Amino acid sequence: MEFYSYVNIFETKGLAYLLLMSFLVLGVLLIKYLSTPEKKDSTSVDRKSPH
Amino acid sequence: MNSTAVFNGELKGFLRFLLQELKPRGPWLTTFNIISIPTIIAGLIILYFRFTLGLGSVTNLSQQYPFGFWIGFDVMTGVALAGGSYVVCFVVYVLRLEKYHSIVKVTVLNGLLAYIFYSGALVLDLGRPWHIINPIIGNSFGYNSVLFLVSWHFLLYMTVLFVEFSPTIAEWAHWPKLQKFLKSLTLGAVIIGITLSMLHQSGVGAMFLMAKPKIHPLWYSEYIPLLYFVSSIFAGISMIIFEGSISSKVFSNLIGPKSHHAHHDIVLGMAKGAAITMFVYYFFLAFIFMHGDKWKLIDTPYGYWYLVEVIGFVLIPCFMYAYGVRNKNFGVIKVASIMTLLGVVLNRQNVCLIAYNWNVPVKYYPSWQEIVVTLMVVFVEIWVLRWIITRMNVLSKE
Repeated sequence: MEFYSYVNIFETKGLAYLLLMSFLVLGVLLIKYLSTPEKKDSTSVDRKSPH
Repeated sequence: MNSTAVFNGELKGFLRFLLQELKPRGPWLTTFNIISIPTIIAGLIILYFRFTLGLGSVTNLSQQYPFGFWIGFDVMTGVALAGGSYVVCFVVYVLRLEKYHSIVKVTVLNGLLAYIFYSGALVLDLGRPWHIINPIIGNSFGYNSVLFLVSWHFLLYMTVLFVEFSPTIAEWAHWPKLQKFLKSLTLGAVIIGITLSMLHQSGVGAMFLMAKPKIHPLWYSEYIPLLYFVSSIFAGISMIIFEGSISSKVFSNLIGPKSHHAHHDIVLGMAKGAAITMFVYYFFLAFIFMHGDKWKLIDTPYGYWYLVEVIGFVLIPCFMYAYGVRNKNFGVIKVASIMTLLGVVLNRQNVCLIAYNWNVPVKYYPSWQEIVVTLMVVFVEIWVLRWIITRMNVLSKE
């Protein structure tokens, strides 16, 4: 009988669960990163804007 | 004066107005004209041979490769890039985010022209083009096939986009009563349009479900419809950002100062939407990859090519969008939009051509005639877009 290891994340769905958890955590971090602009002064907009 | 005489008088007046409007405006010797006019003429000559001598005379299509560059670029890619119109309509009319209202008309116009020209390019690709009417009239057609759904959706969606844009045409033609009536249809048309778009963007991907043995396992998945739908969202957004950056320079005299100022805010909002959608799309790809246990395929030439697409043209532009939004760096956002557009083109070409029939020794490469005709389609669309924008009230003058 072939040996089956339940702790090998490649053989179980462990990797998928880890990916899902990282998606949720990184998703929250991304939203937070996008919601708090680093530069708040309007002069930076004029300097780098295409017009 | 009887009613017939009044009608004839009005018709003559409108024809005079139309002839006046058809006359070219602005300088002729521009870089775009110098490149586009010879390409359009060459494309028309190639199309003459295509329709008189058949597909084989100008294309490298074969029984093994029925989908070539015309379908892969014009239809598959063009439809994805036109996704911006349903995204903006959803944002403005359903989510009620009024700051995007100034770009609705130009985005709908872009979508309408993209569908007319790119799905219209199907006529060039069909061996017997007169059969294009078959799915519409139900003649010898499988009602359960995905292509049947896609054909009807393309037709209905083009009609819906025309209804959405028609108030601008009525305004241009000085028909105020008709304009008022057509405006009242807008909300209904928008709702139908969003529903149709979501279905046929995924439907285009669903067509590949029946080609499982032919597509490389890294690109084939039973979730192709979902991937096509999600990628059409950020493809459409990136197209809006890219086109907006060009339009704001080329048609700067037609845009009011208020809209010029609002453009920054719109670009930032769009870039934020693109970053989030690309992040979700990237994780969808990762889930599909792990669920399919495709690790062994990565260390192959196709695997490296897959990583170029997924990391180079999805993950990196996603981070660039995020960085651009946070730092209000419009240059980075513009580069990210170009990279995203290239990524979507690459993805559609991979599914349709490069990873299609990947295990067959004879490979398909588009002929130069196929490339010239594709360029012709793009240039003619830009000519029509330019004609409409310079004559109708498309860009916000506020």
